[in-house]
Amino acid sequence: MILTIDALNMHRFPTVLEDMFQLRARVFAGRLGWDVTIADGKEIDQFDKMNPSYIVGLDDEMNVISCARVLQTMGPHMLVDVFDAILDGEPPVRSPNIWESTRFCVDTQRIKSEDSKTTVSKATCELMVGILEYSQMAGITDIITVIDPVMDRVLKRSDNAPHGYVGKTVPMGKVSALAALLDCTDERISKVRAFAGIEGDVMLDEDEAVAKIEALAKTPPVTEMSDPKELQAYCDEQIAMAKTESEREAALALRSALSVRLTPDLSATT
Amino acid sequence: MDLISLHDIPESEDRYTKYLHNICETYEFDDAAYAGINPVGGVMHAIVTYSDEWQAYYQDNNLHTIDPTLHSAMRSVAPVDWLRLKKDQNFRKVFDPAREFGIGDKGITIPIRGPFGEFGMLSVTRDCSKDEWIKLRNNVMIDLQQAAAHIHDHVMHSEPLSRYLHHPNLSKRELEVLQWLAAGKSQQDVADILNISTRTVEVHVRSAREKLVALTTSQAVGRAIGMNLIFPG
Repeated sequence: MILTIDALNMHRFPTVLEDMFQLRARVFAGRLGWDVTIADGKEIDQFDKMNPSYIVGLDDEMNVISCARVLQTMGPHMLVDVFDAILDGEPPVRSPNIWESTRFCVDTQRIKSEDSKTTVSKATCELMVGILEYSQMAGITDIITVIDPVMDRVLKRSDNAPHGYVGKTVPMGKVSALAALLDCTDERISKVRAFAGIEGDVMLDEDEAVAKIEALAKTPPVTEMSDPKELQAYCDEQIAMAKTESEREAALALRSALSVRLTPDLSATT
Repeated sequence: MDLISLHDIPESEDRYTKYLHNICETYEFDDAAYAGINPVGGVMHAIVTYSDEWQAYYQDNNLHTIDPTLHSAMRSVAPVDWLRLKKDQNFRKVFDPAREFGIGDKGITIPIRGPFGEFGMLSVTRDCSKDEWIKLRNNVMIDLQQAAAHIHDHVMHSEPLSRYLHHPNLSKRELEVLQWLAAGKSQQDVADILNISTRTVEVHVRSAREKLVALTTSQAVGRAIGMNLIFPG
C-alpha cells in the first residue's frame, strides 16, 4: 500500500515518518555510502524542511518498506543544489509539469529477512506506481529521478525503462548516481502494474491509514499464543532461565504485562 | 480550446484579471485567483475574478488570515484540492459566507515555487457536484499547472529587480532542440537527429518553454530567436 504524506497531514504519521528517515539512513549512508547527514539514526536534509511530498510504501503491519520524495523543479531542488555534478555545469530542467523525485529506496533487508508477503521487485514497482499516479493526479507529465545504476537496471527489467537521461553518471559514495526521466502516462503505469501483477487501487486513504495504525497499536504483541496456560508456562520458563538480574526483571515485567491474559477467569469476573 | 498567452494581452492594469477570466472561460471555471509574493522586492500580488462584493466581505473580515485554501497550498508541493480541507476548522468560516455570494466549495489551489524563494498560487473554483468536479479537475490539471506558472512568471517579472535577475538559462540540449525546431524539424525528426526519444525531446521543449515564459513551442522558438539564443531557421 502507498501512503502520501505532506506538510498537511504529517502530524498524523509521526511513527511512519520516523521509520522512513531511518530507512533512508540505512540505505543512503549505509548501503550506498553517500555523503548524507545522519542524526539520531535518521537521514534528514535541507529539502525535508521545504514541505516536500513523501510517497511511502507500507506492509500490512504498517512498516515502511519503500519511500521517495518529490519536489517541484520550478523551485530549489536536489539536482541544482546537491547533485549539480550530474548536470555537469548545465542549468537544470525547469517546468511546472516536471517534478524531481529523490531518496528513492526500498528496504531490501526487511523484505528479504522476514517471511515477507512481497518481493523487492514488487515493492519497487508498487512505489513506482504510487509516484507516477500521485504525480499524474497533480498534472505532472514527467518525473526526473536521481537513482543509482542498480535501481536503473531494476527499472529497465521491470518494463519501466527511463525514456531518457539528463546530464551524466557521476561517482557517488560506494556507487554512482544518474538522473533518469520517466513519463507519468497511463501506458507506463499499466506496464509496471502488469509486470508486478499489481491490481486495484494502491493508494491508502489517509483516514484508513490512521485507523490501521491505531488498531495495530491496540493489538497485544503476542497473538499466536492465546492459550493462557501456554503463556503462563512461557513466562515461568523465561523467569527460571534468566541468567542476570536484569533478565529476571525483564521476564517478571513481561509476566506482569501479560497478567490480564494469564488469568482470563479473573479478568472475566471484574 | 487553447489558452491565450499573457504576451497577447496588451499592457494594461487589468491584463492579469483578463488572463484569469480567460482561464475561467477556457476550462469552465466560475472564478480564479492568483496570489504571489516575491522576497526580492518584498511585494505581495493578488489578482482575482471574484465579485467586488465578495472581495470587500473577504477583506473586511480578514478572511485571508484564516483561508485554508491559501495556508495549505503554501505548505504543499502538489496542488491542494479543497475537498481535502473540509475537516479544517476554518473551512466553513470561509465557505459558508462564500455560498451567500454564489461561490461554491469545489476548487483547487496550485502552488508554484521559484528559484529565489518566490511563491505564488493559482486557485480555480466551480460550483458543481463532487463527481463533476473531479472529472473536470482530472481533465485540466496539466494545463492548469502551466497556467499557474505562466501568470506567476509574468507577475514576478513585472518587478524591475526580478526582471533584471531573470536570465533564460537554457541548457545546451534545450537550445539544440529549439534550433532544430526553428529549422522546421518535427519533434520526431529532432529525436532521430539527436538519437533520443521523442518523449525526452518533449521534456526539453517543456523546460525551454518555461524558461522563455512561453505557453507554446512556437512562442518559445520566436523568443529564443529574438534573444539571439538560436539562429532563425
